[in-house]
Amino acid sequence: MSETSKFTEDILTVAKEKGQTIVAEAENETQKALQEAKTRLSREAEEIILNAKAEAEGIRRRQMSEVRHKVKLQEQLEKDQILTDVLEQTKKRIADISDDESKYFPYLVSSIANAIRELGLEEVLVQLNAKDLKRVDKTKLEREVGKKLDKRVKVEWSKNPLEASGGAIVSSTDGKTRIVSTLDQKFEALESKLLIEAGRTLFGNNA
Amino acid sequence: MSGIETVKIIVEAEKGAAKILEDAQTKASEIRKWLDSKIEAERESLLRSAKNEASTILEQAESEAKVEAQEFEKNSQSAKRQVITRASTQKGAAVEKLVTIIMRSEQ
Repeated sequence: MSETSKFTEDILTVAKEKGQTIVAEAENETQKALQEAKTRLSREAEEIILNAKAEAEGIRRRQMSEVRHKVKLQEQLEKDQILTDVLEQTKKRIADISDDESKYFPYLVSSIANAIRELGLEEVLVQLNAKDLKRVDKTKLEREVGKKLDKRVKVEWSKNPLEASGGAIVSSTDGKTRIVSTLDQKFEALESKLLIEAGRTLFGNNA
Repeated sequence: MSGIETVKIIVEAEKGAAKILEDAQTKASEIRKWLDSKIEAERESLLRSAKNEASTILEQAESEAKVEAQEFEKNSQSAKRQVITRASTQKGAAVEKLVTIIMRSEQ
């Protein structure tokens, strides 16, 4: 082989080697970049799925929370209706009792006596509703109140009838201090206690 | 071989070498271009697949949650009915208790 041929062959061999290196480097870079891209994309994909799973959990929780709230609300409405019925029926029963003198008279005596005790007076003005003013034996009532208080009390009966289903308003004769002891007021004052007791009886631990 | 002929041969060899290198650069450039499109294709495929899976997960969750909620509502309604039925039977007793509380409040 001539010197020239060898020289040209060397030039081409070097070029081929360099060309192979260029291509090999490009291939290596590509493989590496592809691998990195796959890893990155897998993470992105994983994140999409994880987000979907979290959202799915949120959907479940939201659905359950909505239905729980709906059921609770319905139950509460029905319970409230029953409680309202019981309070209404209690009012009617109290009204019935106020018609039954044997049960109502002792209540009225105690009611007036307690009010007088609270006022601490010996002379009072008592106001009854129109029905009681007509039917109640006021002399007997005054006597029974006295017995209950274990002292003589002078009772003046107001001619002005009380707008109430029963009970009385007891006041000082000058009208400056008074105790409202009507059945309606009693019901109102006891309402929260009545609701608690009714709830216990009706619903027990499910109140 | 004359000197001119020798130079010509060497010049030709250099041209050949330059062509080899140019071809290699072209091939490397094609490989890189292929990479871009390959990554884009991988991206589309992986993300499409992930989005489809996510969509299935959500649809399934909606459907399961609906069933679960209906089941819960059914059971709760049944439990509620029991409580309300029991309470309804206790109304009379509750009224009596309240009447007693009111009447005894003045004793």
